[in-house]
Amino acid sequence: MHGPARRQLGVRRAGADVVSLLQLQDVTRTVLPPDQPALTILSGVDLTVEPGDRISIVGRSGSGKSTLLNILGLLDLPTSGTLTFADRPVKSYSGGERDRVRGARIGFVFQQFNLLPGRTALENVAMPLLYATGRQFWRRRSLAAEMLEAVGLGHRLESLPDRLSGGEQQRVAIARSLVRGPSLILADEPTGALDLDTGQSVMELIDEVATRTGAALVTITHDPAIARRARDHFRLDRGVLTPVADPALSVSGVES
Amino acid sequence: MTGALTGFVGAVLEAWQELRVHRTRVLLSLVGVAVAVCSLTTVVALGAIVQQANQELSERSSGRPASLYLSAYRSDGAAVDTEKMDAVWSETLARYDISYASRVIQSTQLVPFATGGVMVGVQAVDQPYGEMHRVRMSEGAWFTPADTEQLAPRLIVNEVFYDRMGRPDLATHPTVALGGQSVAGSASGEAAGGTTAVVVGVTPAASWETEPSMFMLAGQLLALQSATAGEAGATTTDPFGGGGGGGGSVQYEMWVPPEISDQLTGIVQRDVQAALGDGATADVFRQDYAQYGDDPFLVTKLVVGGIAVLVLLLGALGLVNIALVTVKQRVREIGIRRSFGATAGRVFFAVMMESVVATIAAGALGVVAAILIVQSPWVHDLVGQGTVTDFPPFPVDAALLGLLAATVVGALAGLLPALVAVRVKVIDAIRY
Repeated sequence: MHGPARRQLGVRRAGADVVSLLQLQDVTRTVLPPDQPALTILSGVDLTVEPGDRISIVGRSGSGKSTLLNILGLLDLPTSGTLTFADRPVKSYSGGERDRVRGARIGFVFQQFNLLPGRTALENVAMPLLYATGRQFWRRRSLAAEMLEAVGLGHRLESLPDRLSGGEQQRVAIARSLVRGPSLILADEPTGALDLDTGQSVMELIDEVATRTGAALVTITHDPAIARRARDHFRLDRGVLTPVADPALSVSGVES
Repeated sequence: MTGALTGFVGAVLEAWQELRVHRTRVLLSLVGVAVAVCSLTTVVALGAIVQQANQELSERSSGRPASLYLSAYRSDGAAVDTEKMDAVWSETLARYDISYASRVIQSTQLVPFATGGVMVGVQAVDQPYGEMHRVRMSEGAWFTPADTEQLAPRLIVNEVFYDRMGRPDLATHPTVALGGQSVAGSASGEAAGGTTAVVVGVTPAASWETEPSMFMLAGQLLALQSATAGEAGATTTDPFGGGGGGGGSVQYEMWVPPEISDQLTGIVQRDVQAALGDGATADVFRQDYAQYGDDPFLVTKLVVGGIAVLVLLLGALGLVNIALVTVKQRVREIGIRRSFGATAGRVFFAVMMESVVATIAAGALGVVAAILIVQSPWVHDLVGQGTVTDFPPFPVDAALLGLLAATVVGALAGLLPALVAVRVKVIDAIRY
């Protein structure tokens, strides 16, 4: 039932004949806690992400954000419904293939930055390239240095995470998520641990690099101001994903 | 192909980074492994060295497997006629084509050293004895078959004897005047009829050996003794009865393949018994260290091995303990890596690799420490107790076993944390 709504949003690129990047159709995810009836975390979720999309998903904790993020990031599979990545059903991928596709095509930005402690900014940004092959693998240090330059941290290559400010850490994390040139950036509360100004500048950076590389950006947040930066807005409430016109309304709607 | 290469290099690099970042924890956990491997290697190496030393010692005293000894005695208590016995012996050897056989005669000879005459113990043997008892030489060489043809007796002396001679160069064919039997009334060592013997070799002396001793060929000793006895006016034909100090008995010894030794024991005993006739009893018995079953050192090996395995088990438990605790602390990091494209197999391999790389390094350190311990002079004294003159080198098996044990322990200790690492729920790990 949410499908047609999404289709209407997609109309503005009608005729461009774009391949959809990620598509969820009637996706349901249930878990089976021991000795209890099945628990539905997501039900009937429809979502299409196309290259260059800017999507925000707003939801309270417990609304199924983690599970949705797991599925969007190919870290979990739906219980029912279809999930396709680059027009191929994700079910047909083997576990290793899913991991490799995730590494090559999806970049994560987390609320807690999640840099590896004890490693320099350069090593952190080079880390995803350890899972690449060929030129990306062998030239990982220079690629990582270039990416850190691009986020304005060319002078902090050898700094350890605990020597960097929150904004700098998140910029390292952004450099890390982009270093393999992903076509989808999944940002999970990217400004949650930053002050307002830093959060704004980090979001500008993410927007800018996503625009420059043509990557789609899916932001999961509870902050309407951050959500408003996206073009398409969704609300996740008790496992149901609904398109909304204004994320601010959706939040108040949830909280009411 | 390139994927496999980058995958392997990447995993090793990851493991290395991990070790570098957590170097304190790694060092602490590895001390246990290094100590365990060091103990294991030391115990195994010492065991092997003690065993080898024991075996060499046994072989030198009672021969290699299987050594058969022949003895004969008369029921009236008199000695069996030596010439007859020798004839029977030669005949038996020829009949069964036994090439490794030797007579062994314990006797003494008066040797005039610069400090005065000394009665020196002589072990007179046949030429194959050197091979049969693995006699080691520190200088020169064991008797050759040609030596038996020489008129001047050939001597192989021990280091004590050689020192008292003033350590002359063997290439100059140094000679010793043998005084023959200790003849009553002879003032110096030089009794009438003394013979000039040539020293052709030197055997090492154990640290407790303070007296000179020497080997002679049995034929040359017997010839010397009968000549001396003749000069001294003795009338007896028994070469051992003539001189007072030269008293000794002949032992007959054969080195035969162990698988036919039992059969041969019966046959030789029957033949010799028949040749000697009534009134004499022949006895053939086996005396080498291997006579009581397959491996007389089995108990030692089992005890030593058991201790070593226990030591290693303790080391492995400590390692598993630390590895499990740290992998729990690293759940977040593993989640991060998974979200950036690390496959489950890669995470498993990297965690495992970390453990293996670290334990191999610790194992190598342990082996080096073990080599230093085992090869130290203090340990040599303790283990050798003066009886082992030529210490066997550090057993390569023990070193390899130490490294192998370290690798296996690393893999086993890495297995559990690696399994834990693979089961990490990625987003849960990152968002907690």
